[in-house]
Amino acid sequence: MKKVAYYKGCLASLSAKELDYATQALAPKVGLELVELESVTCCGAGDIHEAEPDYYLHLNARILSYAAAEGVDTLLTVCNVCTLNLRQANFVLMGDSEVRARVNENLVSVGVPAYERDIDVRHLLWEIAEGEGYELLKSAAHRGLKGLKVAPFYGCQILRPSKINGFEDPDRPWSLERIIEACGGEAIDYPAKIKCCGFPIIQAREETALGELIQPIEQAYEAGADAIVTPCPLCHLSLDAWQSKLKAATGRDFKMPILHLSQLVGVAAGVPEAELKFKRHVVSMKPVIEKLQI
Amino acid sequence: MQVGLKIWRFNSRSGERELQEFEIDAPEEATLLDCLDIVKDRHDGSLAYRKSCRMMICGSCGMRMDGAAVLACKVRMYDIAQEGRVPVISAMGNLPIVKDLVVDMGPFWEKFRSVDPFLQPGYQEPPDGREHLIRQERMNVIHKEALCINCGCCVSECNAMESDPQFTGPQALVKAMRFVGDPRDGEKLARLEKLNGEHGIWECTRCYFCNERCPKNIDPRDAIAKLGAESIKEGIDRDMGAKHAKWFVTSAKTTGWLRETELVPKTQGVVAAIKQTRFALDLAVKGKVPPPFPPHVAKDVREARRLYDLTVRESGRRGYDGIVQGEHALGRLAHGHSGEETLEEIYDRPGSFTRPYLPDDAA
Repeated sequence: MKKVAYYKGCLASLSAKELDYATQALAPKVGLELVELESVTCCGAGDIHEAEPDYYLHLNARILSYAAAEGVDTLLTVCNVCTLNLRQANFVLMGDSEVRARVNENLVSVGVPAYERDIDVRHLLWEIAEGEGYELLKSAAHRGLKGLKVAPFYGCQILRPSKINGFEDPDRPWSLERIIEACGGEAIDYPAKIKCCGFPIIQAREETALGELIQPIEQAYEAGADAIVTPCPLCHLSLDAWQSKLKAATGRDFKMPILHLSQLVGVAAGVPEAELKFKRHVVSMKPVIEKLQI
Repeated sequence: MQVGLKIWRFNSRSGERELQEFEIDAPEEATLLDCLDIVKDRHDGSLAYRKSCRMMICGSCGMRMDGAAVLACKVRMYDIAQEGRVPVISAMGNLPIVKDLVVDMGPFWEKFRSVDPFLQPGYQEPPDGREHLIRQERMNVIHKEALCINCGCCVSECNAMESDPQFTGPQALVKAMRFVGDPRDGEKLARLEKLNGEHGIWECTRCYFCNERCPKNIDPRDAIAKLGAESIKEGIDRDMGAKHAKWFVTSAKTTGWLRETELVPKTQGVVAAIKQTRFALDLAVKGKVPPPFPPHVAKDVREARRLYDLTVRESGRRGYDGIVQGEHALGRLAHGHSGEETLEEIYDRPGSFTRPYLPDDAA
């Protein structure tokens, strides 16, 4: 078992609780012992980076510090946006001793331990796409996916900027496809899989966002996908919950089921449906459930 | 070396498109631009593309290689040819194609002009006709933005612009930051007001394609964030995007976690939020609208509150400086120096530049 600090982030804590349930159920099957962090806050989701950048750096330093205090080397995330925000803050803090000294002084003054040890912020996707995590995944995924046609949707902030994320080629990513196939599904290829779902501006500029959102859904639909899988709960929320708005705007009802990465692997690894909480999705998962006979 | 290229030819008059394959002989140090020159000189003189300086400074040769915008003069072909890859070359995206690899830069320059890309006077003239000196630290603020060569690689891939062609876009916003951050400029507030318009900074969808593609490592997305931070510092925060961003700050310092359910009314206003009731109810049935009471409060959230007091309330907002402070550390990542390869090894690599003559070599 690899012991990792587990950073849920906002969505998995509340509106996307199903992601947390599925991740907790899946973790031991892929060799991960999750140490849940209690005293942590939101990473700022890019919004605090934009509104109050210095506060963003301090909030993320605080999260990193509490992860380091658990004595682990890895901070596990289940969200693209958390991954980028935490990794970016970590590079700034580790790469600039002056900035780190000032941030640490502030942390210590409010009772947070100073952050000195470089913690590796890693998304669950990276943990199970290679190495021991992948080997365990292959043996755990005994139940399979019965040839389910799954369209991988990466989203943005787990690929780009690659100098901060750097796990795989941001233009030719392979990790989701590899996992889908290891689970017994068929990976569907389509161009929009690395593009934006529109979520960051879905409230402030809904029309522009919907123009982005329709691309992956339409392309996956036309390529014959049974479902889309994504490693990001924000992508999940826009693909799943805002799909009804596409119907209103374009007249097309795709009814495309959207899976969290942890749910997809969870199904293949035999995690019971009760723990995957498909009922919490807005778009019905019934066609997928029927095809998988779960 | 043998280089294979597939080039999308396009004739805007007839609308004809054709993917043509070329197999050429090129020197090992050839760039993509060198290879296109060879195609044009020896194989097909009708191929159209833009070029000028051949050294990554004029910004003329932006195009796509395997779907990703590049500067043709920056891409070395050696490794690609060795792998046996035959890349597909096409015109940049988000701009109309004139012929083959040449796009109409008209809409690009129009947006560029829209941000008034020149210094607006207004600073205090020093007395006695003395020179107006500016500290290096002040100019460091716009060091990255000043490097922009207007090649359009960022615009080519902008996801927001693809959905809304009216979006001001990454290149023009980089230029805007270059002047907003310039201590000699006299119109900072007027600029920020304009940049907070309908198609301004808050329409950026944070896809980070611009940061990924920029051949000069300018990080346009970060420049847009700097403009957002500076707008909020200056109290220009009426846009829904600014309100959305500020609600995250309020959430973090009060409960620690995002107060999701209140985000819509705080961003769009109560009236607009009420119009969304039907939609919200559909989500609520699925537990996607967590009740705000009792709030989901992080343990020791007092610490997050105190950090806000220290970094914002007591010391004042830092605006773009808060982002600039991280650039020193992130710059190291941009240059991708692993530190494992010596300069000699780099020169010895096939396809690399010839080792320059150094005075010591004579000895």
